[in-house]
Amino acid sequence: MDTVVSIQVVCGESNSMEMVEAQINRAFEAFYHVEQACSRFSIDSELMRACRQIETPVPVSPFLFEPLKFALEMAQWTDGVFDPTVGKVMEEHGFNRHYLTGQSVQSTVTDSELVTYRDIVLNQQDRTLYLKTPLVIDLGAVAKGFAIDLAANELNQFEGFVVNAGGDLFAGGVNEQGYPWEIGIQHPESKEHIIHTLDVSNKAVCTSGSYERKSVDVTGMHHIYNPTTRQSPNDWISCTVIAPFAMMADAFSTASFMLGLEKGSRLIEQVGLEGILISSKLQIVKVGGVL
Amino acid sequence: MDKKWVILCSTAVAAVYAAGYFTTETQASIVQPPLYIEENHQSNDVQPNDMPTISSQTNNSQTNNSQTNSSQTNNSQTNNSQTNSSQTNSVEPTTPIIRLYQDGTYTGLGKNRRGSIQVAVTFKNDKITDVEISKFAMHYSKRDVVGLPEEVLQIQSAQVRNVSGATYSTRAFKDAINDAMSQAQNA
Repeated sequence: MDTVVSIQVVCGESNSMEMVEAQINRAFEAFYHVEQACSRFSIDSELMRACRQIETPVPVSPFLFEPLKFALEMAQWTDGVFDPTVGKVMEEHGFNRHYLTGQSVQSTVTDSELVTYRDIVLNQQDRTLYLKTPLVIDLGAVAKGFAIDLAANELNQFEGFVVNAGGDLFAGGVNEQGYPWEIGIQHPESKEHIIHTLDVSNKAVCTSGSYERKSVDVTGMHHIYNPTTRQSPNDWISCTVIAPFAMMADAFSTASFMLGLEKGSRLIEQVGLEGILISSKLQIVKVGGVL
Repeated sequence: MDKKWVILCSTAVAAVYAAGYFTTETQASIVQPPLYIEENHQSNDVQPNDMPTISSQTNNSQTNNSQTNSSQTNNSQTNNSQTNSSQTNSVEPTTPIIRLYQDGTYTGLGKNRRGSIQVAVTFKNDKITDVEISKFAMHYSKRDVVGLPEEVLQIQSAQVRNVSGATYSTRAFKDAINDAMSQAQNA
């Protein structure tokens, strides 16, 4: 995950420093575990190792199994617009550099452009992953959210906390003044401005934007890719979703980004979430009764 | 709200604990289990079904803990990313005689792998009276943080707004302020 992870905790006097720090360390470990399991950018991750075994049930840890299961549900829900099998396409379009080493990953998998989420089969009973055909799984839209949720779970006992992973975050409890956390949403075109502010308690806020990561190889392509149209969607410039879990906010912000103006906002409404969507013409659309 | 997705998420978190990952691998970092469990019951209203399984074994080996209120905890060993933790203890309004901060100007530093920010924070009568960015060496525009000193003056705390989408500079700035505050506190 190419992100700075920051954790902020509000604790009462009864908490000892040692205990607070130990708990924060545990929260950080969630990111380590999820990254080890889900990274598409290191060939040794559990994900990439599993992707090299075709037509074999591979037992996988919950750090990989769970976000993958969620991604597949989302794929089904959106009829394949959201699809975790876009890994190889992303790789070929330049989204393949490891953020620490700078080395680009070229997986040995050669998939066809026709792979879909239906080529992945998860078995809940023995918790195995089975690939019908060679492909590269990309969990970019769920793994970070899952790590945030695990970290948040470690910090539950504090009066308040914020787990912020590069702008996707979970804000628990209250801030040190006893109020809900104030979360700003960045203006997509001028970094120094905040386009909207939310008061949040025990909720996740995730933003999918096309303004941060652009492809160096293909003009007009950014890190969100729609496999059914084979293009990067551009109806929205930024989609923020507020949800009780970060994995949910993460996946739904990406999915609504994919689905465009009408379907995107309807998706958020359907599920009963709140969202702040900004069109490429900088029109703000509020969904689900968000203030 | 569509319960299906909520259930998917909460069972996902629970599955990790059911598999025993967090308890077996991070026991060394649990310092005071009894206190922790007590606290847990009090304020656990977020996800009651997803309580971590806590080992009752006491283990005093501290691997990573620093005693001071350091504004920067580097977890790059285990985390592969630059990480910061900041901590805020609530100030008791009933004890105004005790000075929390020593008057004077303190220099605080906040950094991550995108660069560093240095601030000069002036305290007078337990209040922040001046905040200045004395050095800005981030790989981003200084405009990102230009309004933040004013915000610190207003709210009298380092807890400037979180920005969804661009956090590197803000984070480093907060750390710098926290650093200066803890220096003033311990002076």
